[in-house]
Amino acid sequence: MQGNRMNRNCTVLCLAISSVIVAGSFAGCRKLTKSDLNVAFQNSHGTEVSLKLPCSNNCLASLKGKVVLVNFWATWCEPCKAEIPSLIQFQQKYSDKGFTLLGIAMDEDGASVVQPFVEKMKFDVGGHPTGMNYPIVIGSDSVADKFGGLIGYPTSVLLTRDGKIAKTIVGPLTPEDFRDIQALVGS
Amino acid sequence: MSDLRRSLKPAPPPKPRRLRFVAAGLLIAAACIVSATMGAKAQSSILAPATVVKPHAYASLNPVPRGKEFQVAVVANIVNGYHVNSNKPTDPYLIPTTITVEPPKGFRVVDTIYPPGQEKRFPFSPDKPLNVYSGTVTLRLKLVAENDAALGSATIPLTLKYQACNDAACLPPVKLPVKLTVQVANAGAKARPVHTEIFR
Repeated sequence: MQGNRMNRNCTVLCLAISSVIVAGSFAGCRKLTKSDLNVAFQNSHGTEVSLKLPCSNNCLASLKGKVVLVNFWATWCEPCKAEIPSLIQFQQKYSDKGFTLLGIAMDEDGASVVQPFVEKMKFDVGGHPTGMNYPIVIGSDSVADKFGGLIGYPTSVLLTRDGKIAKTIVGPLTPEDFRDIQALVGS
Repeated sequence: MSDLRRSLKPAPPPKPRRLRFVAAGLLIAAACIVSATMGAKAQSSILAPATVVKPHAYASLNPVPRGKEFQVAVVANIVNGYHVNSNKPTDPYLIPTTITVEPPKGFRVVDTIYPPGQEKRFPFSPDKPLNVYSGTVTLRLKLVAENDAALGSATIPLTLKYQACNDAACLPPVKLPVKLTVQVANAGAKARPVHTEIFR
């Protein structure tokens, strides 16, 4: 009888411990998805720049050795939002070919505005409501200055696999820009 | 027959190789110049955010007697080709245009009146019209000079906040200081309406 109770107590204790472990690992995951993202590149003067930027979306992505299209945007920028479906589509098509987009959100209020936007907004991609499927980090003027500064939004900076700036595009991306990216990706 | 004619036609003298290289080089250079000029044009059409709107502030009375309500108009000239969001933009993420006052001691803000915007479509938003201001727009405030307002010249600091875009790109939001000076007179002093073309 006492052995039975002991067994039951042990089961309850084991379950409690497992729950704590599972909960802890989920908390760990959440922390991982909202961590910093390392961005390394060579600026236009040939100087190596390494940035650790607070991440809001797809934070486990690695940029190393990939062709990266850095897209400066903001939640208040309509032309930026208008090109997001084509960015999502491009990411879908080329993310397994050594390419990634990196969105740098320039909202003054940072993650408090960007995080809910990224979590909530769905974009029409080929008739399907789709969320932003690429890493989004929070930027600032000093971050933008490292890439050569911004004169308007959207601005995209194309980085080669070895982190060199291949092209800076002010305004929405054109079909020619997408062809240039495809050429760099090698497909 | 045509082959024969072609064979009879004297072949053009072959261009010297060096000349062909020079011609190709010139063509490439011309293409580079054209594309660079176009790129430069695209970039030069993007203005510094603080230069897109030129605001001027006017008061409706001179002097402003203590205890009297008066109006302030901020006439904002928006550079051709640009627009700013109206005070009531269509999307909650868009930044509305606002005019705010930090009233000096003895002044009180009664009301702020924004004109309605215009629904316009843009190349980046062909299906969703945006509510915007463009051209010249007048934002109005109603203020009162209280009985404890200091007599004489008073500066009323205003701040115009806007976020501008052209047809292709947007600029970061700007807070532009706008200065207004009014003359405060004793209660009951004769107030002359001024800038009547604005305060009709």
